[in-house]
Amino acid sequence: MANLQPPSRTRFYRDKRNGKFLGVCSGIADYTGFDVTLVRVVLVAAIIMGSGAPLLLYFIAAFMTPDKPREFALADNEEREFWQNVRASPTRTARDIRSRLRDIDRRLADIESYVTTQNRSLAQEIEQLR
Amino acid sequence: MEEEIMGMMIGGLAIVCLFIGLPWVIFHYVTKWKTAATLTQSDEKLLDELHDAARRLDDRICSIERIMDAENPQWRQNCLPGRTESRRLLADEDLRHG
Repeated sequence: MANLQPPSRTRFYRDKRNGKFLGVCSGIADYTGFDVTLVRVVLVAAIIMGSGAPLLLYFIAAFMTPDKPREFALADNEEREFWQNVRASPTRTARDIRSRLRDIDRRLADIESYVTTQNRSLAQEIEQLR
Repeated sequence: MEEEIMGMMIGGLAIVCLFIGLPWVIFHYVTKWKTAATLTQSDEKLLDELHDAARRLDDRICSIERIMDAENPQWRQNCLPGRTESRRLLADEDLRHG
């Protein structure tokens, strides 16, 4: 039933390709941005401390979540980080993009003003030579 | 007699808590979570496109800046005569960090 939904960047998926067993740990790592090894260590510690109850949760999670769609598996590092930020806080990511665009605007303004003033001074020199 | 009544009251209270209070709290947070964390499919697409556009523009401006640096390494100093030193330093810092 879960497979009928369109693939979404903000959904939790198992990551079977990078996983050891069913890919739940690497899915969590991919979703949140934590280190895979850390997630696995925490899970093992929880299983030992919780006398096996987290193991049941692991299997429930593995049963309920679909595997990662193929089109998301080919993401590069930068993109993966971006979507982790989106999951953490969409508002902050939108603000980041805005600040990036502002930075681009500022740099473009620098270039523009340099080009225009440079051409003007060149025109003045030509004018003086005449 | 009184202890029995007290015990029944406590039992009734526990049942009320368990079957009315707990689901209430759970559903309260479920509805809250459902209304808060919604990023629709189109929102996601829009964010993706914006991010992509920002990255592409960034790359393009970077290559143009490289060309202009090759032509005239001092062009940043010439671009705005009235610009303060700190702003220029900030721009240089940006350039160095990519």
